[in-house]
Amino acid sequence: MSNQLTAFERSDGRWGLRNHVLILPLHSAFSATARKIADDSSGAVAVSHDWSGEVDGDFDRIVKTISGFAANPNNFATIFITIGTPNELAIIELAKKIGLGKFEVLNVAELGSMSKIADIGLQMANSLLKEAKLSQRISAPWSAIKLGQECGGSDALSGITANPALGVASDRLVGLGSSSVLGETTEILGAEHLLAARAITPEIGARIVETVARYERSINYEGIDMRGAQPSRGNIEGGLTTLEEKSLGAAKKAGSAQFSGVFEYADQVINPGLYFMDTPGHDTEQLTGFAAAGINIVVFTTGRGTPTGSAIVPTIKVATNTTMASAIPDLIDLNAGTIADGIATLTDVGGELFDLILEVANGKLTKAEKGLHHEFSLSRMYNTVIR
Amino acid sequence: MTMKGFDHGNRGIGVRNHQLILPSVVCSTRVSSRIAKEMDAITFAHQHGCGFIGNDVGRITDYFAALANHPNVSSTLIVGLGCETLQGNELADKLLSKNKSTNYLVTQESGGVQGTVDSGVAAAKELRTKYPTPQVVLPRLHLGIDLSNESPVVTDLVAALADVGVDVTISSSHKNSGLNFSDLMEAGVHVILSFPDSNQPASGFPLIPTINVASNSPLHLALKDDFDLFASSSVAEIIEKIYAVVNGEQTKVEVIGAGEIIAAREVRSV
Repeated sequence: MSNQLTAFERSDGRWGLRNHVLILPLHSAFSATARKIADDSSGAVAVSHDWSGEVDGDFDRIVKTISGFAANPNNFATIFITIGTPNELAIIELAKKIGLGKFEVLNVAELGSMSKIADIGLQMANSLLKEAKLSQRISAPWSAIKLGQECGGSDALSGITANPALGVASDRLVGLGSSSVLGETTEILGAEHLLAARAITPEIGARIVETVARYERSINYEGIDMRGAQPSRGNIEGGLTTLEEKSLGAAKKAGSAQFSGVFEYADQVINPGLYFMDTPGHDTEQLTGFAAAGINIVVFTTGRGTPTGSAIVPTIKVATNTTMASAIPDLIDLNAGTIADGIATLTDVGGELFDLILEVANGKLTKAEKGLHHEFSLSRMYNTVIR
Repeated sequence: MTMKGFDHGNRGIGVRNHQLILPSVVCSTRVSSRIAKEMDAITFAHQHGCGFIGNDVGRITDYFAALANHPNVSSTLIVGLGCETLQGNELADKLLSKNKSTNYLVTQESGGVQGTVDSGVAAAKELRTKYPTPQVVLPRLHLGIDLSNESPVVTDLVAALADVGVDVTISSSHKNSGLNFSDLMEAGVHVILSFPDSNQPASGFPLIPTINVASNSPLHLALKDDFDLFASSSVAEIIEKIYAVVNGEQTKVEVIGAGEIIAAREVRSV
């Protein structure tokens, strides 16, 4: 296997590992039209969401998420479907500021109807796809890789097999100059002091601890004890006993490198190094936030097995145990259960995963990509019952 | 006026004959859409079912139950992942106590994505065979009105509907049609008549035909092809459209296949 990383260089110098044409509705009512354009096209992707322009406490977070997603370097181009309100146009402006180079705007109020949008959008998407095929991958530096670490449906083996294997791969990438990001604030609760001790400055360490405490306060404020909901029932069935056990295992994904900083949800990841980002543990809210942050590849470890993927970011599934990996093979890209089986060492599987990350970065499709799993979720902070 | 209906047993008599493929968690929305496409059934994308706590677990479970028990639904197939907070079997048990035409399956126990799609299609076919839907006369129409926008026609319309024996539920709690649609769905309305806010486009809800009435706002005038009715439409024209839709005419948003759910939540995800 060639050890050379190749990628698509964007006009602002960022690197894409995919060359997607994304159809992005800026209002929930256009979700079906966006999906139709993508389905009818020769390979465009689309997402659906439930934001219909409301301006509430979550407005800035939603604008940041959608614009970051639009501007992800894995997109060759983004086609926005908009009513043309100032709030929707603000999303496009922010996406441009982040670095979105190529985009088109389908303004429903100018074009007159959703069926016209579907027709014009289809032509536009196919013509951009043709253009995208002409751009070539070129040799890229390791800093082109912005890796997101995720786990979901953890079990008793997560902290012994798949998560530490990801830690090995992450350490190697960080050593080469890539960016690597640990998220899931709710799932490091109880292990934050260990991560803080690995921060490059005491200030960054304190921020890791405060970020976890802040999340817990925001839930306690609602009169709910987050510790009562974790580990989840699926985790317990998978053999996890306590939140601390789950968190200690989840933290293994970050390997042993030092933490260079802490990001808010969907902040742009620009520099090399290992970072922590404040995200929910909710798989698709996290994955969407990673994509919005410019992360261009994700490794997702799982004990119970999940099909989840992103429309624009390749998501590599690593199984923690052989039983699950054999039972649902069309979800899993790599089985780290071999470590527990005594067949392979942590170093072996970490190395295999590193090689697989490089292959996927260079264009090999993941199971989630082949299955067209394009889940998208907006992360909100506030009560939406009273809006 | 005779109204066509579909006898959906304990769910009631509906004006559409939709099989619902209900993903009980965001992780199974793709599998559900593959099953629905093959079966020409209804499904929708959402972001709920896991990573939530407190009252939201019961709130979303009740919301999904209301969808599955809606009179326009012929049968329901719940598709879960397996390890999520909202357990598909518990939802299924809740539904089965009222409607036998319910089944559920779980991706983690069905051999993965393809296995779940295959067993899902088989289960959906079995539900249709086992629970055929007789066509009947709809004895009484329950209309929902989404009053996100004030309309001068509504008072006269409601009076005229009362005269012809139509039950009406009005939702005007929100400026957001999507949230009003959810309230109307939980009230069990057969058809929705939507007056969207003047700065909002026409929109729809899965399972329930949604008739959109435009205002004279610049946006609505620009988007007139997406609306079924206009600010100038008379009470008689609106009622005529309602009966046509009850009897099978597709609304503009039904033709497009638009219909998202907007389910409210109390607490951020964890």
